Amino acid sequence: MEDKKKQALRLGTNVILFLLALTAAEFFIGAYLKIWWVGIILLIISTTKAVFVIRDYMHVSRLFVGEEETH
Amino acid sequence: MSTETGSLENGSLVDYRYREGNNRLGLWLFIISDSFVFAGLLISRYYLLGFNYHPDVNQILGLAVTVMLLVSSYFMYRAETLMKYGDVRGFIRNASVTMVLGALFLIGVVGLEWQIAPAGPNDGAVWSLFYTMTGFHAFHVLTGLILLFIVWRKARMGKYNADRHWGVEAAAVYWHFVDVVWFFFYPALYLVGRAVI
Repeated sequence: MEDKKKQALRLGTNVILFLLALTAAEFFIGAYLKIWWVGIILLIISTTKAVFVIRDYMHVSRLFVGEEETH
Repeated sequence: MSTETGSLENGSLVDYRYREGNNRLGLWLFIISDSFVFAGLLISRYYLLGFNYHPDVNQILGLAVTVMLLVSSYFMYRAETLMKYGDVRGFIRNASVTMVLGALFLIGVVGLEWQIAPAGPNDGAVWSLFYTMTGFHAFHVLTGLILLFIVWRKARMGKYNADRHWGVEAAAVYWHFVDVVWFFFYPALYLVGRAVI
């Protein structure tokens, strides 16, 4: 139980560190590169961030499991 | 008795899980529907400005509010996880941090960005859209804060535990959704292209 809790909290920390790194990359790319296709790169970065939050923070997989298995 | 309080004391866990499954479906249906409105706003922005321009807004402030909202999502995740493992005090602590960061985000966007922006909502389609996008999103943040406060208060009253805390999950999923929307709004409004007044 305690191990699972620590594992879940660690996952949250890893995800936020990754998201912060992507946000920093996003900022520098957007602020300093002024080429039209930067918009495409930024959209890809946004989508990547969204996938991680929807999967790991919003637990979208809970929608597809039986009621008994969600906790 | 179908209230959360009632279900904490009465009713079987199987019933609770069944209702929770239905509630979860309903919440996600709402979120997907709401996403279409945000998507419409985002498409309008790219239609008007393409990949070449963005409104002339404060870059540093934009980054600061983005980081605040992102970190608030992390604390919301921690809050929900701790509740799942029965740590109600941990939930209250982390949910409090989430609310503070959410309030700071609102102050940053509505209290600061809107005040220092070089144009108002009546100064053309671009600025009208900027205020609509940030305003509509800010309303969602405010709604999330209200929902979170209600859940936080109920947790303090001892109405949730490790097995029964649907309210906490719903508030967390909604809060993360608001964060995901900002992932797309932030580059669209602050980063893509050159600044245009």
